[in-house]
Amino acid sequence: MRNDFEDQLRPIWLDAHAGDEAAYRRALALIADRLRGYFARRMGGLSPDVEDLVQETLLALHLQRGTYDTGVPVTAWVHGIARHKLVDLWRRRGRSEGLFESFDELADDLHPAVHEEPGVQRDLDQLLGSLTAAQRQAIVDTKLEGLSVADAARRAGVSESAIKVNVHRGLKRLAGLIRGLP
Amino acid sequence: MKTEQLVELLARQAGPAPRHAVERRVAMAASLGAAGSIAGAIGALGLNTSLTDMGVALAVKLAYVAALMLSAAWFVDRVARPGTPWRRALWAVATVVLAMALLAATVWSRADETQRLDLLLGRSWASCPWRVAALSVPALAAVVWALRGLAPTRPRWAGFAAGLFAGSLGALGYALYCPELSPLFVLVWYTAGVLLPAALGALLGPLLLRW
Repeated sequence: MRNDFEDQLRPIWLDAHAGDEAAYRRALALIADRLRGYFARRMGGLSPDVEDLVQETLLALHLQRGTYDTGVPVTAWVHGIARHKLVDLWRRRGRSEGLFESFDELADDLHPAVHEEPGVQRDLDQLLGSLTAAQRQAIVDTKLEGLSVADAARRAGVSESAIKVNVHRGLKRLAGLIRGLP
Repeated sequence: MKTEQLVELLARQAGPAPRHAVERRVAMAASLGAAGSIAGAIGALGLNTSLTDMGVALAVKLAYVAALMLSAAWFVDRVARPGTPWRRALWAVATVVLAMALLAATVWSRADETQRLDLLLGRSWASCPWRVAALSVPALAAVVWALRGLAPTRPRWAGFAAGLFAGSLGALGYALYCPELSPLFVLVWYTAGVLLPAALGALLGPLLLRW
């Protein structure tokens, strides 16, 4: 990640940091493209693993965005998380290499299309299905239907902070689901 | 799920980033750890009734412990954030120890030959580090908990930082009991007591601080 990317990303990220939703969307999309290149270079080309890592890293960025210190380059912070996720994957693979190899070979032979369309084999509904009802509801209301936190709280009959906690925990769970998939 | 879809999901209604997420968590862990350490010291060891007579010696001791706490807290704050420089915070901790070493060396060099061993060992050198370490256990648990909710990308250093901070909180409680007055004693045995949980933290970091 080069300096010109920092120059492009930083103002958008700072807007997002302050609560600008459109800026956040743009920043995450820009970061996602970079991450794909970063992981693809290190994983030997585009694969579903790459897309899983991209998604896992985006979730981690979002869940941990409170740890960003504005005195530090955004790219350094993003890179710190991306590297952590890559090393984590390698370490987990290294421990049960034999298992993963045979599993991957089998999957390749049986489902050659998986590599062609990275990531699309799991859809969002399926992922949301493994959350608790309250987490799912909080995410669907605020994140898919776009209700405000206050409206979502009113609809569910709980406090606003309960909605926020459920969204946060639900996203954490999603990250765990993506991480857990081979 | 397409990545585009995930980006949309994350951005929607995201609001501003949580403010002072790291500071708040570290402060909470510090409060819990300090409470555990002080309660443990008073409950298990007893409050030293002659604290008020210790004057400058107590002030030096507490200043050292407070400086260790602040620098170690900064160290914990740095290692909780990905891609954020943290070595300067480690140097800050080292500088605090060095400053205390200078003071201790001055006192030691001015002391009578016959008193020097006493300045080093006091009456409680053998128990001091272990008691500091034992009193830091609640703090270590609290700081590790705090870091587990943040994003340490160097688990060994993060565990070390957590242990240093916890150790200095343990020393805070121990100072309420400790009868020693010599800065050399405080330098050697308090620091040893702080390094015990730091070593434990470095050992456990890779196991406990995974995310």
